[in-house]
Amino acid sequence: MSRRSTRLAALCLAGVMLAASACGGGSSESDDGTVELRFGWWGNNDRADATQKVIDAFQARNPGIKVKGSYTDFNSYFDRLATEVAAGRAPDVITLGGAYPREYGDRGALLDLSKVNLKMDKIGAAALGNGKFGGVQYGVPSGVNAIATVINPAVFEKAGVEVPDGDTWTWDDFERITKELAGKLPKGTFALADPTRTDMLDVYSRQRGEALYTADGKVAISAKTLVDWWTMTLGLRDAGATPPASQTAELITQPAPEQSLMGRGLAAMQFDWSNQLTALTKAAGAPLKLIRVPGETGATQPGMWLQASQIYSINARSEHPEEAAKFVDFLVNSADAGKIILADRGIPANSDVREGIASVLGEEEKAQAEFIDGLTPKAGPPLVIGPAGSTDTPKILDRVNAEVLFDRQKPAEAAADFLQQVGTAIQQ
Amino acid sequence: MSNRLTPAIAPPEREPPLARGRRRRRRSSPSGPARDRIGYLFLTPWFIGMALFTVGPILASLYLSFTEYTLLKPPEWLGLDNYRQMLEDPRLHKSLAVTFVYVFVSVPVQLVLALALALLLNRGVRGLGFYRSVYYLPSLLAGSVSVAILWRQIFGKEGLVNQVLATAGIEGVSWVAHPDFALGTLIVLNAWTFGAPMVIFLAGLRQIPHSYYEAAEVDGAGPVSRFFRITLPLLTPIIFFNLVLQLIGAFQSFTQAFVISGGRGGPSDATLLYTLYLYERGFGSFDMGYASAMAWVLLAIIAVLTGLNFLFAKRWVFYGN
Repeated sequence: MSRRSTRLAALCLAGVMLAASACGGGSSESDDGTVELRFGWWGNNDRADATQKVIDAFQARNPGIKVKGSYTDFNSYFDRLATEVAAGRAPDVITLGGAYPREYGDRGALLDLSKVNLKMDKIGAAALGNGKFGGVQYGVPSGVNAIATVINPAVFEKAGVEVPDGDTWTWDDFERITKELAGKLPKGTFALADPTRTDMLDVYSRQRGEALYTADGKVAISAKTLVDWWTMTLGLRDAGATPPASQTAELITQPAPEQSLMGRGLAAMQFDWSNQLTALTKAAGAPLKLIRVPGETGATQPGMWLQASQIYSINARSEHPEEAAKFVDFLVNSADAGKIILADRGIPANSDVREGIASVLGEEEKAQAEFIDGLTPKAGPPLVIGPAGSTDTPKILDRVNAEVLFDRQKPAEAAADFLQQVGTAIQQ
Repeated sequence: MSNRLTPAIAPPEREPPLARGRRRRRRSSPSGPARDRIGYLFLTPWFIGMALFTVGPILASLYLSFTEYTLLKPPEWLGLDNYRQMLEDPRLHKSLAVTFVYVFVSVPVQLVLALALALLLNRGVRGLGFYRSVYYLPSLLAGSVSVAILWRQIFGKEGLVNQVLATAGIEGVSWVAHPDFALGTLIVLNAWTFGAPMVIFLAGLRQIPHSYYEAAEVDGAGPVSRFFRITLPLLTPIIFFNLVLQLIGAFQSFTQAFVISGGRGGPSDATLLYTLYLYERGFGSFDMGYASAMAWVLLAIIAVLTGLNFLFAKRWVFYGN
């Protein structure tokens, strides 16, 4: 009797185990030999739609390859990517930007692109440099970008303040104009969101002949520059030109263009990347324009620079590097893809693609192209990308900036604190 | 069929001899070692899962805590450096302070709320089942991302709270993003999940014999003294159980703080719970060795506090007999 029960129990158990193993199937290569690639990127819903169209177009041309996009907003993108890389499950094609290509490249997570078949001869040199570290090309730029002042002329008009001339305005002009706006704008509308972000510190310090980092990977910005910056932003806050500290702190947790003050039509200006113009315009529902950041003329050197807006790189552990390269090639070198993406990922870095899409560009994309064209002869030296560990800098800046805006640290203390923390982060 | 299997899957615990004798007479079920074997057999899937997904990673993290591990390169042995570094890490100390405030404020508030509502519901409210479900709901929801997002909306600059305040002519700050209040919103959120302990309290209240109250009433005891002389002493095992459970749970809170602060524990680290900092070091700064060391320190903290809990329990928990 007991043996029968045992046998019965074993049978049930076997059933359970079978059922469990059946759930765990799935592989990256399906039965018919189709290769499946994963493509990781960040952005909003509009970008998602466009990206899916590009993927569809690629798949139509390459029946043997299936591409699965996976995306989140900018803040969570890199958290998620780190987790995936750690788990060995990172996407085959990875979108990166800023200091991240170097961060991941230095740590061996990215494929040396010379090992795959990927043409880069038409890509602009300045942007291409943003994906090259230690002599190795880890990424290809999606497009060219620059930090800019986004202007909402309607808000200026409402306040009866004249839109500044981007070619001549100084930081003094900027302070004067923002404070004038503050006095005339209705409650809840601001001259701009708190402007403190690492890109602006880049511009501001470069205008003074400094930079955020030195070429050999050390902190280069001086305490005095930081103190001057925070003295200015505190003045803006006190004048009501920027929102109260707690609102600023809330805004930095919401990076989407739709949630920004500019995107909600609640700001006259915003410092942002030029490729955000389309998304911001759509969100604000009013025509916006781009002008250069203040203080470019009369500075020691121009602070603005041409930057690869996003970098496409290939996972070093990808099982299908050649297919991944094919997809990246399509993204950056094909006019068909360019016609779908337009300027959403920066003005295309490939000169042929750029010419090819000129006729189909919309109002905002044309404005971006003009802005980049106008900036190109006037831009400062290429930006020194921060060393490994420097991807912590924006978070450090957010923390220290909160200390300043909530009056918990004087600018001088904050400057020392910031320099110390960044120094520690990039040494690790 | 099923009643034949029932004894087979019962946990292999020792039973009083009387029950054993009775069972032996029922011929349909196996006994002794055979029965235990079947029990363990059924436990194997769980044991495999436990070994693969719990014990393995735990041991791996112990090893990693003595190394420098950047995720992408093999770990390098460091000895006690990570632990030494923790002594001098101001953000770690800040995160400990934040976590202790969070745990030691939210857990008592939560338990008092739970007990109060359990008492209220135990007075024979009509539709008890309905109320019990309604109050229990937050416990199921509050750990979710959606509620955390909702919280951000309620306590944001243009949120519900400020809209109510605006009708009174007060202009509120963004509560989730102000260093003085942000942690408070998290504490409120955790306290709001009083449903789970409430249900357990309710069950405990039901077990107190009614005759005790009747006897006390006859002796002239008022409601207050009945509560303090009968209800509370007899409920201490339940209170203790809830306390241990909620304390451990609160130390491990992560999702709410992560979502509400946009993953950063801000503003200026005001909501930097220990787990959040651990995550940031591990996945933000690629410092898995340090993050592992932090995890083990958290384990030690929870173990010590739970140990103290049990130690002091002897003084105040009353087990009846």
